Amino acid sequence: MTAGKKSGGEAGDRLRALGLGAASEETRAPSGAAIHVEDLTAAYDKKAVLWDIDLEIEENSITAIVGPNGAGKSTLLKCILGFLKPLSGSVRIFGKALREVRDRVAYVPQFSEVNWDFPISVRDVVLMGRYRSIGWFRRANASERAIAEDAMREMGLSALASRQISQLSGGQRQRVFIARALAQRAELLIMDEPLAGVDKSSERIIIDKIRELKSEGKTIVCVHHDLNTLRSYFDHAVLIRRYVIACGPVEEAASEENIRRAYEDLI
Amino acid sequence: MISILFSYDFWVVAAGTSLLALAGSIVGCFSVYQGQSLVGDAIGHSAYPGVVLAFICFQTRDPLILTIGAALSGGMAYFLIHSLRDGGGIDFDSALALVLTGMFGLGMVLKTYTQGNPAYADASQAGLKNYIFGSAAFLMKRDAALIFCSGALVLSLLFLFRRILLISIFDRGYAKAIGIPEALGTAVLLFMMIVLISVGLKSVGAVLISSFLLIPCICANQHSRSLGPILLLSALTGILSALFGTFLSTAYRGLSTGPMIILCMGSVTLLSMIFGRYGLLPRMLRKRGKEND
Repeated sequence: MTAGKKSGGEAGDRLRALGLGAASEETRAPSGAAIHVEDLTAAYDKKAVLWDIDLEIEENSITAIVGPNGAGKSTLLKCILGFLKPLSGSVRIFGKALREVRDRVAYVPQFSEVNWDFPISVRDVVLMGRYRSIGWFRRANASERAIAEDAMREMGLSALASRQISQLSGGQRQRVFIARALAQRAELLIMDEPLAGVDKSSERIIIDKIRELKSEGKTIVCVHHDLNTLRSYFDHAVLIRRYVIACGPVEEAASEENIRRAYEDLI
Repeated sequence: MISILFSYDFWVVAAGTSLLALAGSIVGCFSVYQGQSLVGDAIGHSAYPGVVLAFICFQTRDPLILTIGAALSGGMAYFLIHSLRDGGGIDFDSALALVLTGMFGLGMVLKTYTQGNPAYADASQAGLKNYIFGSAAFLMKRDAALIFCSGALVLSLLFLFRRILLISIFDRGYAKAIGIPEALGTAVLLFMMIVLISVGLKSVGAVLISSFLLIPCICANQHSRSLGPILLLSALTGILSALFGTFLSTAYRGLSTGPMIILCMGSVTLLSMIFGRYGLLPRMLRKRGKEND
């Protein structure tokens, strides 16, 4: 089983390296859920933040995680990505444990987690997306660099490639992190507020790219805070407020009634 | 004065200090960006009691043994700082100050204890005070060799772990997401800092050693915003200051080498802060240019 999986993975890698971006056979199999969370309870700084979360994020969907401040949206992402060990419950990604599928998952962090004083160019940040396949010691070869250049071009960053990240605007910075996630050629992209503090033109580029990724068969999960754009940008939604209020296609999940329940006493 | 340049002793000292400055300035950049500047200072001060204790235990001034003592005590101080913060509920700055002064005080007490203690009369303790302010002038070939080996070790580690350090310092969340253990980058950097501080103690001294890590990076930052040029400029500032400082302290009696080197680094940095590309003057000119537009 391991041998079979390995060769499949290598072939997939090679395809991805060639820029064909083909999803591996494993993901084509109609397993349904990209992310499956069961009975999850998590605490952050000794305070329980998430209670008994059960949810499924469908493969090949654009799913928003929505909820008021302090609802546990980022905590949920941290549990999914394995940064935070839940008190109970489990997370499966493509039906497997995270460490088995890490190469298939890309993450776009929240701005506050990044050290903006660090002198690093756009190109070098995007190239980080290839580190897992370049390895820690080897030099990046031409094909790895080409993948990074492609990702920059897709996010409209080619002209900014040699700029320092600290010199960019909020929207440009966000596009750099998304380009890095693209360079990873992952099948599941998890983004923490990709549209927060982003100008209109960057928002356009990001949303167009997210839709394009979906059409390529990928799954995109975003923490999102703008209820006005929820229905137009996303096809699925998870409403949370410490517990899951609704989860499913955006029309049903983000019904007036559910939104009211999520934001009750807050609006 | 030029004859100094043909003296063997000068070149032993100069080789030692400039190798230390080279490795220190490059590793220092990473520690500055990680916000560890003061941690370096705390480790430096805290390494001193280790030197004296190693001397008390082994009654020798062999550089390797004293360096190992320094490294152990510097490393212990780091863990003490973190346990004070995490377990003792003391904030990070206070924990740093507490450990820095406490450990250095302990070192001073231990040193006075060996002074005039007949048990240590055989193995002269007189050299121990050199570890406080440093005295590169007494660097032996053996010391220079130790610096060379440690510098080579640290720079090879830096090269091997460059990507891990880069990601861990720049974007911790992403580092975790691609499976880099959170503590790995910090641990590697800490190890490199401790090694350099410990071997540098004799020539630069416990009080001043952190400047070797800190100043060249600050200087380079006034001229560039990209990592490659910053590392290069930082290394150049370190090496040239080390050579010039060593030269001055050899030429004029009574000028200690470590402090002279740091004064050189400091002067270059001060000039850079005024005239450097991102310094005060060009910034003002740019601002004025914009206003005139």
